[in-house]
Amino acid sequence: MTGAPTFDLRDVSVRFGELTALADVNLEVRAGEAVALVGPSGAGKTTILRLANGTLRPTSGTVHVEGRDLATLGGGDLRSVRARIGLVPQEFGLVPELRVLQNVVSGRVGRRSFAGSIRDTFFPTADTVRDVHRVLERVGIPEKLYERTDRLSGGQQQRVAIARALYQQPAAILADEPVSNVDPARARATTELLVSLARERGIALIVSLHHLEIARGSFDRLVGLRGGRVAFDRPASELTEEDFSRLYDLTPDEILEDGPA
Amino acid sequence: MSARGSSRRRVLLGLLAAGVASAIWLRLDPRALFAPGSGEVLARFFRAALSPALLSSTGASLWPDVLDGIRATVAFAAGGMTLAIALGLPLGYLASSAWWDEDPSPGRRRRGRVITSAARWLIAGMRSVHELLWAMILLAALGRSTATAIVAIAIPYGGTLAKVWSELIDESPRGGARALRAIGARPGQSWLLGLAPRTLSDFASYAFYRFECALRSSAILGFLGFPTLGYHLSLAFDNLRYPEVWTFLYALLGLILAVELWSAALRRREGWA
Repeated sequence: MTGAPTFDLRDVSVRFGELTALADVNLEVRAGEAVALVGPSGAGKTTILRLANGTLRPTSGTVHVEGRDLATLGGGDLRSVRARIGLVPQEFGLVPELRVLQNVVSGRVGRRSFAGSIRDTFFPTADTVRDVHRVLERVGIPEKLYERTDRLSGGQQQRVAIARALYQQPAAILADEPVSNVDPARARATTELLVSLARERGIALIVSLHHLEIARGSFDRLVGLRGGRVAFDRPASELTEEDFSRLYDLTPDEILEDGPA
Repeated sequence: MSARGSSRRRVLLGLLAAGVASAIWLRLDPRALFAPGSGEVLARFFRAALSPALLSSTGASLWPDVLDGIRATVAFAAGGMTLAIALGLPLGYLASSAWWDEDPSPGRRRRGRVITSAARWLIAGMRSVHELLWAMILLAALGRSTATAIVAIAIPYGGTLAKVWSELIDESPRGGARALRAIGARPGQSWLLGLAPRTLSDFASYAFYRFECALRSSAILGFLGFPTLGYHLSLAFDNLRYPEVWTFLYALLGLILAVELWSAALRRREGWA
């Protein structure tokens, strides 16, 4: 399995009725790579993340994860692929009424039987609690282990979501706009945390980011998206002013209409 | 005058006309309230409030009857609620659409819709018949056993719990459940760990409120002969022993107040709405 890239999107297009969300996108991400998808809202960043874990199927083209074509997988196989991909959603996707421990533990739900996941959530063993504590230490909030999740600040909840992805022991992590729901001061700290976690574990990381500046400072590879197409795909160090304007200069038409969210 | 003002006046006039028409149809006669002797009976009844009986007509203490009545009232209510929750949880699950409406397979969504609408019809049927009526139906079929009273409470209460719970489920935000499905959870796992916990404190709070209602229903079932406070009440009423009536009324009041206080304390502690 070593040869296959973690994510491989080939000639992928996604259409929602009349709307083309992605057009002929090719994207390969390998283990250990940290990639930022940048571009204005509606450019197709979230669509790529959804394709990557099979929560969305392409209208045409193929999506391979670790060499497996997602289109050929049935329910159980698709779940086992998803169990290898961590996710940090924009709104965190936590259950606020549960404790931090319980939210983090649910990271392994895809590998657990029904009874096993209930046991993990409501009657965790000492080993489980220790493992979760270790992960929380890594993201900087070990003292919140038994706290109810809705008592935490937005930034802390985001760390719980990241801890859940880590506890999952994934082959890759997808993060959707991880800076949009935390204050700007934390934005860079969050992306840097994600990138350093991905490096130390040698896993693939794809992060969608509205802010090109933050992406430029933390990631080695940037993929610019505009109107569902890849505008550029290059190392952050080689980024030019022209790339910038290709991404963010609006045509008169675009100024007048609101792009899809 | 605005259109809204005139339509409001039409509604008011219509209601007034309906009231007058029903009064005429029922041959309502306010003088019936002041029939000879009725004032005296009322006075006798309310005077008795100040001197509730402590002994029965035979001179025995009423305490055993009061305690038995309270115990039976609580037991029927608790038994009815336990069964109602056991009925309401699975039915409420089936009556919610959250377990199928995001399923990628159109066939399973169709099947889900059929099951959900069947569950909702069943719930409507359970709720549309009052517990007293259920008790009378079940009395005819099963006789006057403990199970009859408990099932009579459990059917309409189970239906109500199911309806409220299914609405709580469908109104809860799905972000947590979706995130779990995206990392490989089975639909049942994402429902149980991602969605159900969001509803539990509201459901517990509502179930407790329904327990207070069940106590009143349980007391009233005594009028059909079950040994709750209502049974003792109706006996005393039938024999025109008003001081005894008040003894059992006070017992009921005390019971309801005690549960009310308990529930207020629980609500404060658990942070329920």
